[in-house]
Amino acid sequence: MTTGWQASLERRSTPFAIPALLAFTGLCVLLTSLRLTELLPLNLWWSALIAPDTTHVGQLLFHHSALPRVAVSIVAGAALGLAGAIFQQTLRNPLAEPATVGTAAGANLALGTAAILAPFLLETGRELVAIGGGALATAAVILIAWRRHLSPVLLVLAGLVVSLVCGSASALLVVLDRDYMTELFIWQTGSLIQNGMAVVTNLSVKLLIGFALATGLIRPMRILELDDESTRSLGFSPAVLRLAGLAVAVWLSAAVVAAVGVIGFVGLAAPHIAGALGARTFAGRMVAASAGGALLLWFTDQLVQVLPLSEEVPTGTATALIGAPLLLLLLPRMRAIMPTHGGSGMASPRHVIGWWMPFAATATIAVTIALSLLLARGVDGWHWASGAELATFLPLRLPRALVALSAGAILAVSGTLIQRLTGNPMASPEVLGISSGAAIGIILLFLIGIQLDRTSMILAAAAGALLTLGAIVLMAARASFSPDHILLAGISLSAIGTGLAALVLASGDPRIDFLLAWLSGSTYRATLGDAATAGCILLAILAGSPLMSRWLEILPLGQATSLSLGVPLKTVRLSILLAAGLCAAAATVFVGPLSFVGLIAPRAADYLGYHRPLPQLFVSAFLGGVTMAVADWLSRTIIFPWQVPVGLLIALVGGPFFLWQIAKRK
Amino acid sequence: MSAGFHYPTRRAFLGGTGAFAAFPFRGFASSPPRRVACLEWTAAGMVMSLGLAPIAVGDLKGYRQWVDQPTLPGTTLDLGSRGEPSLELLEELDPDLIIATYGYALEVGDFERFAPTYDLPLYADKTSPYAQARLETKRLGERLGREREAEALLLGTERTINQSRLRLADRKAAPLCLFTFFDNRHLRIYGAGSLLQDVLDRLDLRNAWDRETSEWGISTVGVEQLATIDEARLVCLEPIMPHAVRMMRRSSLWQNLPAVRAHPITSIPTLWPFGGLDVAARFASLLADNLVSA
Repeated sequence: MTTGWQASLERRSTPFAIPALLAFTGLCVLLTSLRLTELLPLNLWWSALIAPDTTHVGQLLFHHSALPRVAVSIVAGAALGLAGAIFQQTLRNPLAEPATVGTAAGANLALGTAAILAPFLLETGRELVAIGGGALATAAVILIAWRRHLSPVLLVLAGLVVSLVCGSASALLVVLDRDYMTELFIWQTGSLIQNGMAVVTNLSVKLLIGFALATGLIRPMRILELDDESTRSLGFSPAVLRLAGLAVAVWLSAAVVAAVGVIGFVGLAAPHIAGALGARTFAGRMVAASAGGALLLWFTDQLVQVLPLSEEVPTGTATALIGAPLLLLLLPRMRAIMPTHGGSGMASPRHVIGWWMPFAATATIAVTIALSLLLARGVDGWHWASGAELATFLPLRLPRALVALSAGAILAVSGTLIQRLTGNPMASPEVLGISSGAAIGIILLFLIGIQLDRTSMILAAAAGALLTLGAIVLMAARASFSPDHILLAGISLSAIGTGLAALVLASGDPRIDFLLAWLSGSTYRATLGDAATAGCILLAILAGSPLMSRWLEILPLGQATSLSLGVPLKTVRLSILLAAGLCAAAATVFVGPLSFVGLIAPRAADYLGYHRPLPQLFVSAFLGGVTMAVADWLSRTIIFPWQVPVGLLIALVGGPFFLWQIAKRK
Repeated sequence: MSAGFHYPTRRAFLGGTGAFAAFPFRGFASSPPRRVACLEWTAAGMVMSLGLAPIAVGDLKGYRQWVDQPTLPGTTLDLGSRGEPSLELLEELDPDLIIATYGYALEVGDFERFAPTYDLPLYADKTSPYAQARLETKRLGERLGREREAEALLLGTERTINQSRLRLADRKAAPLCLFTFFDNRHLRIYGAGSLLQDVLDRLDLRNAWDRETSEWGISTVGVEQLATIDEARLVCLEPIMPHAVRMMRRSSLWQNLPAVRAHPITSIPTLWPFGGLDVAARFASLLADNLVSA
């Protein structure tokens, strides 16, 4: 399995590498020196380094703060670069790195869980906790991709979804226990601020050990460049080799998370820098990637310190914001490996909508809504609302229940349209980044400082969603992009959204309570007006969908078939995308960006045997609406008077469902 | 001695005579609210300091950890998160008054449907929080029908601050730096525009932190910024989380800070720096205790 990435390694010759690295080092040194001279004149540097006069502010900061920060950026960058090189080698995957295979998010979740459930663990066993979490998450990702021979795109897809689920779980911890909120946020943003040499020393030792272990693995790792058959014929077990390599990489990445927090994309970029510089062997890549990673993080960290912003951008956020577009740029280089044809196994029996089903669906919806209106918790625990009580609680419960029902159904319709359109059963507004686009729109609104009312939120969300859609349409037009590439692009977008959100959340803005609630998906502020709007949008799209049914039937058959059947492909694609995108934007405003309902509901409908477009659309709308309504009821009642954000609740179920879906695909 | 005002006895007295005097007129004047729900902690603390226990408070567990005093009675209920207080619980409790505070992105008007609402605009602008707190205490006292308690609180706070100043008068005090640990690398330092700054001014103490502050009178900065305040005396507000303790033990920067080398760091018990007059009084006497014993 040779990827485009390995071919690109051979392009340039090594002599170019040394001057390039030296030049970049020179740039970093220059930037750092400029900053350090502001702190301390050059002639005092030596004495501040060797024997600082701690009564002198400049010398104190130089020795105990500025230099450790430079050192930690170099050491952490090198560790991430090395980990990235090992990940990419062992998984034969040019996109593998701590953040894309789930290690960083897993370690972060483990640290958050420990902070709340067993704070004493963090006193002594911080790294063990991080390593345990990182290893578990990475193992899950690899297990999912294993049956598909660790297909690169699938692996990264699984990794990013595992990261999303871990992120949702971390966010849920924050909801349940606000005391550690700021700490977790700062952790997630990866701040390199140091106050002494302790962290650097510790991490340097880990880096040296990691490097020594990796050196010992050079020969086995090179064998992995052969295919698994040849590896076996040489008397090695590819699985054991991989496991050894992964152990070292996970350990290094988790050590970085435990020391400074989540810093994404350095591990991704560094091996590619090494490749671009002409490092051909694994040993060469190892060294060059460590150097590249060190320089990259050093440079980024200096950059965030000189940027003229009122508040310093945490370095981890900066790398995520720079790195996610980088991931997008690297995508075309990868061969499409997953089959592009949609429609899961047609083994399930095919069903049509019976005459009785609309009645049954209506009855189920009525029962669900009635349940969510009647049964609730109060001061004295669970109880059924009686007639008089219902009159008082109805205005509180009805808008939420209706908004949840409609938004869930809208997302499900949007998901069905997108899956039909792309012929990809893994597509959905959430996975394609349309919801993230809407979220980015709202976060930008927040950052600019405009008052957050419903109208401006809907406008910003729609703008963000449509821009994302436009980008997806453009990408989809390019032949080199498989549907899986688009999925990956969408998930990179959600990484940008997460980065921006982390920035706002860590800034301590008093409005973060609101943003946090919205980001995690909440129907708290739903009004009857919202319910009416959402209901109208749902009715409009359901009424309009029969017009699209023929297109939806033909499109998954592929471009050639569609054209030969006389479908005006461009117009059709554009109109379906527009419908799906506007729906997703509207639903996102009501229930937030995290939901996975748009993914699950169409799959479930298909699984139940409704393969034809309209039955699938209506069944999935029904399932999506009911799921969301039930989730909303649970979110209001399980930790009463507190509330679990409904989006998080569904993401915790939907994420694993998505993973299960991609794992079982043949 | 935590706070220098003595409202319980005074209130018992006034309550007795006042109720007697007011009784015949209760039918005419609308009765003062008894069942008050507070959406967040500042309001809860202020209502308590006027001698009334709120029936429900947003994020009760957080109140116990970050505000602590005045201690809420065991009967006070949790309203859920401060960002999303439970509307159903508000409906069920049917309070006489709902008090919200500026800065929590909640539309006070949204709560009008459950009970009359009252907006407590602390600290909507940075000019003199202490004067604002006095004003708001009077206003809240009128709304709650507790004008006498409010007056007593105003006087009691003045008295406590004066007593604390006298206790500190003959000491040559170094400038102070007041902060809370945000995490083990970041601090929240209280400066111009904070209630604590106003109390420092009234105690004739100098705040070593003279840098620009946020809307709330605080600066959130890295630990290394403490290097710029020379040999000020560091006073930390509790709680101090375990890994901040660990940082203080291990960090070479921390141990070499001029301020840390000059004076041992001391701490004062948890108090809510965005609270009202009771917090001002409590802070004054706690700080006096702290500096006298230091």
